[in-house]
Amino acid sequence: MDGKLEMSLDKLPVKRLESIEENGIERFPTDIGYDEKRVSLIRRIDFAWAVEKEDEEKKQKKPKKGSRESSSTTTPWPWQNMAENLQLAHQELSVIIDLINTVEANDAVTVAGMTRPKPLPNEILADLAVSTATKLQCYRNLGKYFKQSARALEQQVAREARFYGALIRLQQNWKVKRQRVGAIAPGNEGFMIDLFDNSLYDSVAVLRPSSLSTIRVDHGSDGMLAINLPSKSCHSLLFGFLSGHSNAGPMKSNKIKSHGSLEHPSKKPEKESLSDNECVKDTHSLLRKVHQAIFDEQVFDMVNCGAINQSSGLNVTGIQENYLQLCIDPGISVFVSLVLSDQGDQVVDSEGPQKLESAVLPLDSLDGVKLAEEKHNSRTKKPCFPNCTSCEIYLKQIFHEYVFVKANDRPFSSGTRISSQPANDGSGLLSHFCLSLSHRIFSNKVLMELENVVCRVPYLHLISHPTWHSRASAWTIFMKIPPSILHASSQTRTPDFQSIKNVVKSEFRTKVVINDDCINIEAEGAPNVVGVFKESSEDICSSNKYDCNLDDFPVIILQQVASQVIRWLHEEALAVGIKANRDFLCLSFELEQGEILNLVAHVDPEDTRGCISWWLIMEDGFAEERKLHMDIADGASEYRKFLGYLPLDVLYLTLMDLVSLCGGGSR
Amino acid sequence: MNKAGGIGIGGGGGGVGSGPTAAAAAAAAQKQKALMQRVETDIANIVDNFTQLVNVARINDTSVRNSQEAFMMEMRAARMVQAADSLLKLVSELKQTAIFSGFASLNDHVDQRISVFNQLAEKTDSMLARVGEEAAASLKELETHYYSSAQRTSQTLEP
Repeated sequence: MDGKLEMSLDKLPVKRLESIEENGIERFPTDIGYDEKRVSLIRRIDFAWAVEKEDEEKKQKKPKKGSRESSSTTTPWPWQNMAENLQLAHQELSVIIDLINTVEANDAVTVAGMTRPKPLPNEILADLAVSTATKLQCYRNLGKYFKQSARALEQQVAREARFYGALIRLQQNWKVKRQRVGAIAPGNEGFMIDLFDNSLYDSVAVLRPSSLSTIRVDHGSDGMLAINLPSKSCHSLLFGFLSGHSNAGPMKSNKIKSHGSLEHPSKKPEKESLSDNECVKDTHSLLRKVHQAIFDEQVFDMVNCGAINQSSGLNVTGIQENYLQLCIDPGISVFVSLVLSDQGDQVVDSEGPQKLESAVLPLDSLDGVKLAEEKHNSRTKKPCFPNCTSCEIYLKQIFHEYVFVKANDRPFSSGTRISSQPANDGSGLLSHFCLSLSHRIFSNKVLMELENVVCRVPYLHLISHPTWHSRASAWTIFMKIPPSILHASSQTRTPDFQSIKNVVKSEFRTKVVINDDCINIEAEGAPNVVGVFKESSEDICSSNKYDCNLDDFPVIILQQVASQVIRWLHEEALAVGIKANRDFLCLSFELEQGEILNLVAHVDPEDTRGCISWWLIMEDGFAEERKLHMDIADGASEYRKFLGYLPLDVLYLTLMDLVSLCGGGSR
Repeated sequence: MNKAGGIGIGGGGGGVGSGPTAAAAAAAAQKQKALMQRVETDIANIVDNFTQLVNVARINDTSVRNSQEAFMMEMRAARMVQAADSLLKLVSELKQTAIFSGFASLNDHVDQRISVFNQLAEKTDSMLARVGEEAAASLKELETHYYSSAQRTSQTLEP
């Protein structure tokens, strides 16, 4: 409607004269009935405005339509008719609604009822088409839903195939168990891998089950089997030496960083691109590392139990959580600790080079001559530590072999295991390990002394004899007479002597055997000590065997060697027909004037020019008295002559000179 | 499904016997029966719902009926997917049963691995022994060479 409001007023309800006839009769209009009145009121409603509006719109549309047709004459809008029909319908509906509202507002007219018109055939078909289209749409939606569900189920099938395939492969090497109690968290399939060896419960009851014994198996983000380990949960065994002589810190074993680390496989960025085989391999290696960590923990527990056991005899000098310190020798301690697997690597990597540089001695026991030359003036005997890594491996190996392997080999016949006092086994093994370590350190010291001696006595050879025993070591000091001397001596021998079977030894061996910390020396060619006291040194034992300590060891070795040289010289002298007397380190010749000429060996391990030096000492009947008044330190006295550090060939020539001086022999 | 059922029944029948395994065999048969029941239920569920879906393809005159059928179609489709999911879970259970019940193959595999590892251990031990022997021989040879070397010999000749 426009802004204008038209009003119409009803006529007053006064009967108006319609007409007067000539006879004067007045005619009034007839009364209008109720129905007629209602119809007249309805007819009074003016629909002109709507009709005019419709006409205007039609007129507007025609020029627009004309303009549209003029602009695009190719493709009319396909829904144009429908839109126009809907607009017309909308207009008619609005008109009818207004009519109804107006009629109801007047209270004079009400809508009695409405009857749906009978649908036309085209309307029936239209309704049917709509219903069909709706149902078709439903079916299409169902189809999409089924496709989506099928895709999801296929993915789930593929995930489960991967998961169970990997689980079956893991089960071939590990103990897979199913969680039967407790709430299973989402993402967790209820499986776990048991890494604890319960066959050891009866034999080693002190073993505590590790927190890593059971590992939960989860689904990864890609559906693959994944194993979650708590961070910093895996420990590894660390072994090291603590020496009071060293200014440096403890010497620790180097951790061999194997491939991979104890990280969660799914944390790796390239995990999704790895194949199933590689994932299973990574899981295998991760489980193996955890298994090793559990083994290290068990070894540490057994070491602890063995150390605390009072019957073990071990000296525990420090104990903390995951740390144990033992004293194996005066001034030498070892520690065994459990460190985090990642921390152990970092600790060693950061401190390793510094520790090695500032270490007292190289870790390897291949000290050799170089070390002897550097330390020949030092008597502090700083310890030569064996390699920490090898010690750690040895510790694990003996526990593995004597506890785990033997536990698994025990019979199951009676259903009960034969208990063999696990506490003693642990302490016994630990004692054995400590004794092995101390033996290794002690034998390194002995080797140092031997190399020191051999280095300074050129005609000695050192021969090593690997014993393959952790608490026994053996060497031989070998002295061989040069062939040139043997040839020369064979020419100077007397015929009588030559006819006799050659008894002049050309090789002398001194065997050094170390058992734990006991040095046993077995030497051949040494004079019988008892014979020495009986003034008859000709009774020679084929070999002498005796023990000694480390402090006296160099002197004793040198004395042994020197006595062997004296013996050889004595035999050579006898071979040329000279009667000579042999003492422990002295070879005596009697001169024509009754004087005695002594060739004496002097041993001094500290002498850097040579450990064995030779002196020529003249004695007569009164030499004993004169000796008391002589300056013994004077090496150039008329009764003493320092010959020097003579090699064997020079000694032989010296002997020949003495023989000629004696005026005897075949020369 | 029928073939699997037949094999399962045959296996279950073969395992029935006296002694401690009778209870286990009875339990296995009961479990197999329950699983078969579940399979049949799920598949019947799927077939019925699909049949109903096909049956409501007819267009009715009343739109109310059509709307009602639309909701029923959604419900039937959901039930079908649920039954499929149940079947999938059943397959997972069967896989788990296969994993945790295949003792014969597991034991064989474990024995095989034990023998392989024993051989590996023996081989390693022999290799270590050989390495030790070679090291000892090399040490002896090196010592011999050193003590017969010119450096050592010249040291010998020097007084």
